[in-house]
Amino acid sequence: MTSDSIKNNNRNKNNSKNTTQWFSNITLLRESQIMKIHYITGVGALFVVAIHIMMRLIMPFNMSLEFENVILNYKNVFYALLLESILILIAIHGFNGLRVILLEIRQTQIWERAVNILVIVAMIGIIAYGTRTIIIANGFSLG
Amino acid sequence: MTSAKSAKRIDDINNKNDRTNREGLRGWLNPIIYGWERVSYWFQRLTGIFLLVYFIGHVYETSSLVSGPDAWAAMLEMTQTIGGHIFLILVIGASTLHTVNGIRLIFTQSGQGLGKPGRPDYPYDPTSVNNKQRSGLWIAFILAAVAMLYGANVLFSGE
Repeated sequence: MTSDSIKNNNRNKNNSKNTTQWFSNITLLRESQIMKIHYITGVGALFVVAIHIMMRLIMPFNMSLEFENVILNYKNVFYALLLESILILIAIHGFNGLRVILLEIRQTQIWERAVNILVIVAMIGIIAYGTRTIIIANGFSLG
Repeated sequence: MTSAKSAKRIDDINNKNDRTNREGLRGWLNPIIYGWERVSYWFQRLTGIFLLVYFIGHVYETSSLVSGPDAWAAMLEMTQTIGGHIFLILVIGASTLHTVNGIRLIFTQSGQGLGKPGRPDYPYDPTSVNNKQRSGLWIAFILAAVAMLYGANVLFSGE
């Protein structure tokens, strides 16, 4: 191995080390803060889901699921906001719970990063998909 | 154990990067020794995963609304079977258990109901694993059963 190639190797190693350090220095939230968010979203979801279920029980269950009834629910801005809050709260709580489980099973830097990225992408994906339904159904025309 | 094997094991243990002692999923699911607290640990995680899967399915299911009444009726028909009803009853039970046990865990993690720390004396029963904690778990199971019965009544009577 020539001295040039050794120098290049060292430079590459230093570069990758710097990049790794740069990534690992990014700490958006501490685990204690994430767990607080987990508990707050859990308790918040309990209340909004309770209202969501009660809306199904104010009339006979089968009737409450008829297309016209459900669309009427979605057209109500307050109910649409309630559905959006359920979507966000449960997506955050659920995917963070999955993250906690996956990080308990295995602990390596690559695994942790992969799990974090996967969970954030899935969370954003499900919120976007659910929001699309709420927006379209909110503006849905029966006639 | 042969001496070579035991020497290798000691080497493994001494090696800082050794992770062979981790049991992984097998350890996660092992209920032996740990008692009801481990069962609660399981249930919290298993019901959590089950509810997350249901949540994703529910978001997908309700998206059929945007395709009109026929698509909505076709999607709804899937849940209007005995199997669909049983699945929904399981969802009701899982969500109640997860909620009540989750509230117990929030109190536990904030230091409530753990008892006073004391000197470790024989038979070394931890004060944190006490009747308050266990009763919380039993309340979760009882409420889940009640919610499932109520859900079954609503779903099967159609009211």
